[in-house]
Amino acid sequence: MKTDLAVSTPTSGNHAQAPITPWGVYAAWRRNARVYQATWLVNSLPPLSEPLIYLVAFGYGLTPLVGDVMYNGASVDYLRFLAPGMMAIGVLFQSYSEGAYASYLRLDYQKTWHAILTTPLTFSEVFTGELLWAATKGMIAALATGILAVFWGLMSVGTVVLSIPLLLLGSVTFGAAGLLTAGLVRTIDQINVPLFLLIVPMFTLCGTYFPRDTLPSPLFEVASALPLAALADLLRWPLGLPDHWPWALLWLLGWAIASTLLAWRTIYPRLFR
Amino acid sequence: MVLEADDLWKTYGDRPVVQGVSFSLAAGEVLGFLGANGAGKTTTVGMLYGAVIPSRGRVMVDGFNVQTQGRRARQIMGVVTQEDNLDPDFSVFDNLRYFASFYGITGRAAQNRASELLAQVGLEDYHKHRVDQLSGGLKRRLVLARALINQPRLVFLDEPTTGLDPDARQDFWRLVTELKQAGCGVLLTTHYMDEAQRLCDRLLLLQNGQVINSGTPLDLIHSTIGVEVIEVDGLKEDQLQPLLTQFQTWGRPVGVHYLIAVPPQGGDELWDYLSHRHPVGLSRRRANLEDVFLRLTGHTLDEN
Repeated sequence: MKTDLAVSTPTSGNHAQAPITPWGVYAAWRRNARVYQATWLVNSLPPLSEPLIYLVAFGYGLTPLVGDVMYNGASVDYLRFLAPGMMAIGVLFQSYSEGAYASYLRLDYQKTWHAILTTPLTFSEVFTGELLWAATKGMIAALATGILAVFWGLMSVGTVVLSIPLLLLGSVTFGAAGLLTAGLVRTIDQINVPLFLLIVPMFTLCGTYFPRDTLPSPLFEVASALPLAALADLLRWPLGLPDHWPWALLWLLGWAIASTLLAWRTIYPRLFR
Repeated sequence: MVLEADDLWKTYGDRPVVQGVSFSLAAGEVLGFLGANGAGKTTTVGMLYGAVIPSRGRVMVDGFNVQTQGRRARQIMGVVTQEDNLDPDFSVFDNLRYFASFYGITGRAAQNRASELLAQVGLEDYHKHRVDQLSGGLKRRLVLARALINQPRLVFLDEPTTGLDPDARQDFWRLVTELKQAGCGVLLTTHYMDEAQRLCDRLLLLQNGQVINSGTPLDLIHSTIGVEVIEVDGLKEDQLQPLLTQFQTWGRPVGVHYLIAVPPQGGDELWDYLSHRHPVGLSRRRANLEDVFLRLTGHTLDEN
């Protein structure tokens, strides 16, 4: 019999080269959606309660102190400024934690990825299904915040609907960052390192709770370079887009692509030796 | 042939783990990989179902190349991995139902297939249980049921009974026999020689990633050892060594015993000779795969 040669590199092999089918991605995504569905009441608490608590706390607590804020050269009601930032934070935390913690558990503890990869699904399909599920969690959180903001009179329904493409881009970006974390860490505790070094500073400094231009110059530059800053700026489009918005969009897109590719290349060798 | 492996190699850095393994497996046949821990069994099986990328070589499953047509190949195979990878987020029943969806089996068809398999493996009373409520033996049964969800033509069982109690192992063996009778090709890795001897039509003995011998269990035993062996206690090795030359047979110490293959001619003479040396213990038994492994590798299966 003739012998085929296959060089053992992290991206060689059928799983890496096989085309992605919508059915395969959906099957992987659906597995997670079913688990979520079974415990939807518990699962829907954080995305609903967090923005509600923040909006109530900031609405009744901080607004009388802050009043209006200056954003993009105009005076804006603080809660109207805050609401898009809250949506961005929902995207950040829900997508990242699903990609990092939950995917890591499925990858390393439960070996769910290993089990599914013995079926006709390919690595690319399972990876994409996981990424889209992490993005779905971010979307649920952001849309729950958006609906609350609509009821609060801070946003129109149209604004929320038209923001969906941006929310999806942000959800994919942070979901992929979470998956990258899951691929890099070797113990679940190590997830705290990027969480506290990157995610929490991003959450506090990127202009979600206050305009970034109040920050000192070097910190302003660093905060503006982070993807949450671009997402928050873009989500505030009803309040006026900054001059650099096309760059912000491209920057966010670049983060999404880079995080996805890096996550793919990091997780693949953990499954195929 | 439902499975053909051709010159499989796997190296990690400079270290070869599997070296030129070739074999084939027919439908309705149970082929066993017998070897100590670290012999390369799991790596080889990983290459067969696509979890390990071969450094060289080719695997064909029912005519589909696992490396280039993996999706088609995996459609007709089932895998029981060594580690427990049941889905703890689902009930016993849903573990099967949702796994079926990965093969495109959904709705009523998936439910019916899941119910049928739970009955086949004797888990119908546990269908609503969570996976973490099952014992080790019940979990292995569920893993096997899951591997059969797509009615595979080929099943890989990687150390399926490790850690199971004797009753659970017997149950598992019965299920494997049923698979064979149903015409399914089964590849089994094990380090239990009784399991290999009981279930396998043919065996590949692996050591250091190489096939050191192959054949039916009985052929391997007869060609390597013979029909019987004698176990001697209490005689010194230098007393026994000359006998091996004299009777043209093989022997070696194993723990507290000295094991001697009974030669085709002169077996009774050897027995009488040993009896007259007044050993502490002397017994004669049928040769088994453990003896074969010992002769071929110099180790018992447990030693490694």
